[in-house]
Formats: sequence, structure tokens, C-alpha cells
Amino acid sequence: MRSVFKCISIIPVLAVLLVIVSGTSNAQEPRIQMSHLDHLAAKASETVDVNIDERLVQIAIKVFNDKDPDEAHIKKLVAGLKGIYVKSFEFDTDNQFNAADVDSIRNQLREPAWSRLVNVKSKRDSNVEVYISLSGSNINGLTVITSDARELTVVNIVGPVDLEKLAQLEGSLGIPDLGVEITKPKTKNEDK
Amino acid sequence: MKHVTIPKLIGFGLIILLTANLVHAKGDDFGSVVKMIEQFYNVKHQGIPFLARAGMKVVGTAAKVKGGTAKRLAEVGSIKLAVFEDQEFDGDLIRFRSSLNEALKQTWIPVVQALSATDEEQTYIFLREKGDKFNVLVVTIGQREGTVVQATLSSKNLALLMKDPEGAGKSITNEATIFDNE
Repeated sequence: MRSVFKCISIIPVLAVLLVIVSGTSNAQEPRIQMSHLDHLAAKASETVDVNIDERLVQIAIKVFNDKDPDEAHIKKLVAGLKGIYVKSFEFDTDNQFNAADVDSIRNQLREPAWSRLVNVKSKRDSNVEVYISLSGSNINGLTVITSDARELTVVNIVGPVDLEKLAQLEGSLGIPDLGVEITKPKTKNEDK
Repeated sequence: MKHVTIPKLIGFGLIILLTANLVHAKGDDFGSVVKMIEQFYNVKHQGIPFLARAGMKVVGTAAKVKGGTAKRLAEVGSIKLAVFEDQEFDGDLIRFRSSLNEALKQTWIPVVQALSATDEEQTYIFLREKGDKFNVLVVTIGQREGTVVQATLSSKNLALLMKDPEGAGKSITNEATIFDNE
């Protein structure tokens, strides 16, 4: 009987350990929190929030038809993904969001978990930042922040994805056209 | 005495959790959403019979739902529709969004939520699995009108929704509410 009560007294300790372990595993997931930006919706003229979580990715894989070339292609691209999350804000006037808003995202994209890609630029006149999360030598997450005076968009994809894949997914599954392009590294002659 | 209460508490907790889930599963989310909109914005919805009395071509809608010329997304007979017409939707967009998400988060997955402060328009698309089919719930609220549509989609049409969530959501609302004038 005593041992039963001993077991019961261990339960809270186990529960605390479980919470700590689950918290640690969440921290390793390249899913970023974007809720800090929600307050911008009150100032924005247009707000779009896309939330394709792992359940929806699985559903998409299940329903996309292999016989339809377009669907088969998207199915291939999303295979293995654990989530696609987009927050986009458009404003009627300049400077409705500030550096702290963007920093709330950037602060989650620090090394060593995340690395910023330097050889990217925007096809439009926006600022673009691309970050990848690596698990060993494999990419397991990608975050793109595009901004200009009247627009802020954050795209976070969890799973094996690269910029080429992202470019092919633009326009599908609620992913906007981000206009990101990879620049060629400068040669020594160009630097001179 | 003290020792007996812990397992009892766990037992009570489990019973409460199970009961809550059963009650939730039985609940009509479509009706709850309509009621929530009515309470939040102090508006009243009109069902199809009211529109019929108002002389609108409901038969045309039914024809369209049953296979008219427009691209059909919803399964025949699966549409639940509530329409709010010519009423003032005056309220905090952000607070409404939070309330709606809170009300549906147990059973529905939010796919896309689009707010336009400029046009005072809100669109919310939620999804849930129902056997081998899927239910989609589209809530659209404008300045003076709103619609709540719940429909069952086949896998094929869900693929269309997944490819272009916002576009397909609008198509479902149009399918349920645009009346044939032919």
C-alpha cells in the first residue's frame, strides 16, 4: 500500500519532466511564432493568415491526384513538409510597422539553429531575408521575411524545403508570390 | 483520507474531459457560429425560406447546387447556409477573429483568414475531416452583409480548395448564394 502512495507522489515529478521534455522538443522544431504580429491587423488594410499545419499537409497529399500533372507536382513538393504558415500585411500608409515587429521574428531565427542566406534578393523593390534551419546537412525549415514601407510578409515552412521548392509552391496552398531570387556569388573581377 | 482524493480527482478529471469532448462532438458548430455572429454584431440571419418569401430565385440556387452551369464544389444537398443582409456589421475585427477561432479550435482547422480593413471584409475558411469526405466552413462578413456556409467536399474538390484556398472559399460562398437570373 505504501508503495502505491509512493508512486502517486512521483506523478507530479513525472508530469513536470514531461512538460520540460515536450518543451525542449518544440524548441527544436523550426516553427516560428508569428502571433507577435497579430496587433498589426488593426492597422493593416489587408491581412492574410495561412495556416497549413501537418494535418492539412497530410490531407493535401491524400487528396491531390497523381493523374493531374499540376496536383502531382504540388504533392511531390509538399511531401515531408510539416507545415506552411504565412502572415501578410498590407498598409495604406508608410511606416505602420516598426523594427521591433520585424525583430520579434528575427530574434527567433538566430544561429546556430538558423542561418541567413546572403545570396538572395527581391525581384521587386522589397527587403528580403531568407533563413534556413538545418538538421545535420538537411534543411528542415525555411523562413522568408519580405518587407517594404507598406508591406510585411512572413512565410515559415517546416520540413525539407529550399528556395527552389518554395518558388514552385508560390501561388499554391496560400503561399504568396514572394519575388525572391537567388543571386550568383560575385567573382573576384566583379568585386574590383 | 488525503491519499484517496488524488485518484478520485484524476478520475473526476477524466470523466469531465470525456464528457466535454462528447458534448462538443455532438454540438452544431454551424449553428454556434451563426449565433455567435448574431450576438457579436447584434444582427439577425435569414435562411433560404425567408429569401424565397422575398421573391429571390431559390430554385435557381438549388439547380446550381444540383449541377448547373457553374463549377460545382459542394456535394449535392450538403450545404448549410445562413445569410445576413442589409445589416450593420459594426465591431472589432480582431476581437471577432479571436472569438471565432476560440469557438472552433477543437474541431476545425483554420486554413485561411483574410481581413480587409479597407473594405471592412473578413473571410475565414475552416476545414474538418468527416469520414472519407471533408467539411468546409466559410464565414464571410462585409460592411452590410455576411454569409456562413458549411458544405461537404469530395477529395477532388478539396484538392481545389487546398491549391487555392481563398479562391475556392469564395467559389463555395458564391455557389451557395448567387442566384440564377436566367
